[in-house]
Amino acid sequence: MSNASGKKGNPVGNFFVSLGNALKDIGVIFVKGDWKTKISYVIMGFGQIMRGQFLRGGMYLAIEALFIWFLTAFGGKYFMKLNTLGTIETYKKNRKTVYGDHSFLILLFGLLTLFFILFIIYLWYRNIKENKEQELILKSGKSLPGNKADFQSLFDSNFDKTLLALPVTGVFAFTVLPIVFMICVAFTNYDATHQAPTKLFTWVGLSNFKNLFSFDTGGFGNTFLGVLLWTLVWALLATFIDYFLGIAVALLINKKGVKFKKFWRTCLVLTIAVPQFVSLLYVSKMFDSAGIINGTLKKLGIIENSIPFWTDPLLAKITIVVVNIWIGIPYLMLMATGLLMNIPADLYESARIDGATPWQMFRHITMPYMLFVTGPYLLTSYTGNLNNFNVIYLLTGGAPKSMSYAGGAGATDLLVTWLYKMTINDTDYKMAAAIGIMIFIVTAVIALGVYRMLPSVKDEEGFQ
Amino acid sequence: MKKKLVSVLLTTVMGASVLAGCGSGEAESVAEEAQDTAETVTEVAQEAASTVEEVKEEVKEEVQDYGTGEIKVWVADAVVDFTKSEIDQFMSDNPQYSGYTVTVEAVGEGDAASNMITDVTAGADIYGFAQDQTARLVAAGALVDVAPENVDAIKNENAAGAVVAATVGDTLYSYPMTADNGYFLYYDKSVVTDPSTLEGILEQCEAAGKNFYMDMTGWYQVSYFFGTGCTLTFDSDNDGNFTACNMDYDSDKGLVALKKMIEVASSKAFQPGSSAGDAVNYAAIIDGTWDASTVKDFLGDNYACAKLPTFTGSDGKTYQMSGFNGCKLLGVKPQEDENKLAVCDALALFLTSEKVQLDRYNEVGWGPSNLKAQQDSAVKADEALSALSEQFAYTIPQGQYPGDYWSNAEALAGDVQGKLQGASDDDLKAALKDFQEKVSAAR
Amino acid sequence: MRESSMKRKRAIGNFFAYVALILIVIVWLFPFVGIVLGSFRSFDPAVEYGGIVDYVIPKHFSLDNYRFVLGDATNYKRWFMNTVIIAFFVSMIQTIIVLCVSYALSRMRFNGRTLLMKFWLILGMFPGFLTMICLYFLLKQIGLTQAGAVPGLILVSVASSGMGYYICKGYFDTIPKALDEAARIDGASRARVFFTMTIPMSKPIIIYQALVAFMAPWNDYVFASYMAFGHDKSYNVAVSMYRWMNTGDYQGYFTRFCAGGVLVAIPVTLLFMFLQKYYVEGVTGGAVKG
Repeated sequence: MSNASGKKGNPVGNFFVSLGNALKDIGVIFVKGDWKTKISYVIMGFGQIMRGQFLRGGMYLAIEALFIWFLTAFGGKYFMKLNTLGTIETYKKNRKTVYGDHSFLILLFGLLTLFFILFIIYLWYRNIKENKEQELILKSGKSLPGNKADFQSLFDSNFDKTLLALPVTGVFAFTVLPIVFMICVAFTNYDATHQAPTKLFTWVGLSNFKNLFSFDTGGFGNTFLGVLLWTLVWALLATFIDYFLGIAVALLINKKGVKFKKFWRTCLVLTIAVPQFVSLLYVSKMFDSAGIINGTLKKLGIIENSIPFWTDPLLAKITIVVVNIWIGIPYLMLMATGLLMNIPADLYESARIDGATPWQMFRHITMPYMLFVTGPYLLTSYTGNLNNFNVIYLLTGGAPKSMSYAGGAGATDLLVTWLYKMTINDTDYKMAAAIGIMIFIVTAVIALGVYRMLPSVKDEEGFQ
Repeated sequence: MKKKLVSVLLTTVMGASVLAGCGSGEAESVAEEAQDTAETVTEVAQEAASTVEEVKEEVKEEVQDYGTGEIKVWVADAVVDFTKSEIDQFMSDNPQYSGYTVTVEAVGEGDAASNMITDVTAGADIYGFAQDQTARLVAAGALVDVAPENVDAIKNENAAGAVVAATVGDTLYSYPMTADNGYFLYYDKSVVTDPSTLEGILEQCEAAGKNFYMDMTGWYQVSYFFGTGCTLTFDSDNDGNFTACNMDYDSDKGLVALKKMIEVASSKAFQPGSSAGDAVNYAAIIDGTWDASTVKDFLGDNYACAKLPTFTGSDGKTYQMSGFNGCKLLGVKPQEDENKLAVCDALALFLTSEKVQLDRYNEVGWGPSNLKAQQDSAVKADEALSALSEQFAYTIPQGQYPGDYWSNAEALAGDVQGKLQGASDDDLKAALKDFQEKVSAAR
Repeated sequence: MRESSMKRKRAIGNFFAYVALILIVIVWLFPFVGIVLGSFRSFDPAVEYGGIVDYVIPKHFSLDNYRFVLGDATNYKRWFMNTVIIAFFVSMIQTIIVLCVSYALSRMRFNGRTLLMKFWLILGMFPGFLTMICLYFLLKQIGLTQAGAVPGLILVSVASSGMGYYICKGYFDTIPKALDEAARIDGASRARVFFTMTIPMSKPIIIYQALVAFMAPWNDYVFASYMAFGHDKSYNVAVSMYRWMNTGDYQGYFTRFCAGGVLVAIPVTLLFMFLQKYYVEGVTGGAVKG
């Protein structure tokens, strides 16, 4: 990709253009800069300190020192092995075990070191640019801001840096790094038979993805498609059934003439308040082949054999959707109650004067308004349901299993519960990682694709 | 040859130090003796290669001082207190290990195995697990082989099935702790008058409106397949990797078994499940000794136990239901410190000794694997244990099975209660063929 | 004439509305009634049975389960306190972080602002369980697993909380910017505006954030059990009680689970009911903003 091809609007091109410019800057500044700037190329922050900005320069220097210490004392040895993920095997000396390379830690800390190096390069570039700017300011006869002003700016013009420093670091360490790590795992053979520290694991290219899309015996292709389909259907059912029923219940409670509105609402809201692991585990036992529901129906003589709520694949799916209504309606009811009050009353008034029936008013005023306003909510709710772990895990754990599925998946498994099982039961991290990436792709495609089509997004963009 | 001789001598030394410990004064003299022995060992060793000299020095240290450290033990909740008191006893009897502090934590056998596989280094040093996990644990490097000096004693003193279960390839990897991991029939005397045939039991349960509980998943379904004469075993190498599968479910014998499973599942008395705590309104349940007290509480005076019944197959022949027999094992994880390993070995050996096994039976009712303990009068009088040992005559020792077997078998169980109900013989044959293909491909 | 028929129509409509509502309430409350009643059924075999039964109302009223749960036979009190500690600290720190991030994103314009928001949005699309094993080893490296699992869980919950800024930022966006500008013209710094103006005006959203953050740890089973890694003393209530329900050694623990569940549900439910108004505001606002 040459610089010339980078037109505006082409992110890849733009990136290379700015990269080229940065490289040019680095060269030009070194040639034109004074000796303080030149030394700053090796000792970060040197120029700043020499020009009186101890706080700023000291920060650069401290980070550089930290980096060198980190690289030599800790990160370097992992980083060097990143290409092989370790070569020294574990062996036994007499009865004692001597552990070899720990592939897991090599990958993890190797990546951490890599990120640190990239960060230092960026900081180094900033440091050079800053030297140049300071030179320019001094040349034009102005003076640099003092240390005190520099410090105070952290609470004013640079307040965003103060506010975001900790949260961004946290997200990096506990979200970005682990995600990049797991993406890498999808390209290794890390599983139950390559368990660190006893065994080494290494890079294997795309073979896990080939397996995921293989339709031979033992391949994951059929299972993956089956589970994916159910995941999509489930999210659709869970989102929209709850949505419409929730609005219906909200309308019912808000109906003119219905008293004790607060009481009805409070009863429903209990489902949100009581922790799900208590209520859902109880509900799952209610539907058990020997649970209260089957027991009562048998006592009443309605059925002879237990209804296999959790053991029949289709019935289990239906039961889950039904139980999810029980969970979902209260949220929707609360939300819809709030939103319904926002609908301008004069809309209804003028409709009534025109002789509209309540149903017509619902169809032409309430529903369009709700759909318009809650568009983004429906989308997040759909993507949320794609990954609705709690409901599936606490109710069925993915059961019933069927022979037509590989990899321990069951009929009610979502991709995310399947991923969980692979991690916990089978310690098959490589496939779990591959599935995790697929979940991301599915979610991202749906979320970004639908988001652009939402009417409320287009109209409310200027709201800020 | 010389190396071997040295190791035998070393073994004696270590054995002596393990046995030492009847008050501190005596312990000292034993320690001196041990030192003397160690010196003679070094004389022998001087002739050997330089590597052996290294060993010599380490051994010298071991005899005198085991150093200090912490040992973590994971056992099931039911035996935590018991294990603690036994270990306290052991530590006071063996002052040479006083540098070590032992903590006992409650981690069930299933959790223990999966935790050990996830992260060996954070796992317990000594832990209890069920025998079906042995191969996985060995493959993940979570088990160290049993100290050579203890191997013969363990093999001789414990039930053969338990020793098989503790062995992977030809190496003994763990210490048998119980031999009661199997299932048999609990029934309600007032409802089931004749527990000898499966058909009779179902009929009487149906007539009384009571439930018959049986799990159809991997561990239990073999009672049908092995009953009609099918085989299913896996060969594994010394590292715990599976090398071959011996299986003939895809046959007439397999078909008879599968049809019986489907027939049983279609009974209105049938309930899937094998946990007495979750079962309701039952007159018969196929379950293990661990649920004996729960069942006893539920059935009261009508409590009774028997071996598994026979059934009449679709070919008109009568078959005795079979099954697995298994055990709980105690494992030691690989250690980076040889002294600590020696202490762990000694502790694990003690916790699986005849005395402790018998104590454990008296305390929590776990059936011993130790042959002498099995002959104890109290053990022999136990109804559930005697039904189990009667059943064990018809079962096979549970070797190592890959995880894919269990998940495929669970899937088959799901189909037996679902889509295979009312299926034609051809469909059933196809299902068996499919099952066999998938299980055989498992590694 | 016409009016009375309208009235009758409305009365009939109301009647059906009440029937429907009563049915709904029965269905919605049934599991909770079942849990409460189950918690009063003794697990002592001499009295009744502690497993699952096919009837709801216990034959004998008993407090055995509560005695067991609150007694010394289990570490329940410890588990409960662990959960309270986690919930409290997560709630506090998470709220502060969310406020900081939301203010920065809502009020300040800096390089990479939209990039950061887009990046976090995309990060949020990865399933959380994916990174479990990695987080475990990261925390283990700094000694925050097993015995240190409680601070470890707090750290993990708090570390990524910046990404959950949507609702709070949406709220800040509705506070007129003119107020900020006026104060800044008077010489107030950004920090001063944030602490003395924005925060006092955001009481509802602060309470909402704190409430949601406080309730989440009570449900955390998966991650908490992974971090505790078999260390009994570090369990939270969800982990320990899930094990009551699912481990083979704990059969017949069903009624004790119910009792433990009631004890967990009472404080959380009361708090929720008390602060319900703010929750509704947050949920409604969040739904509109997306």
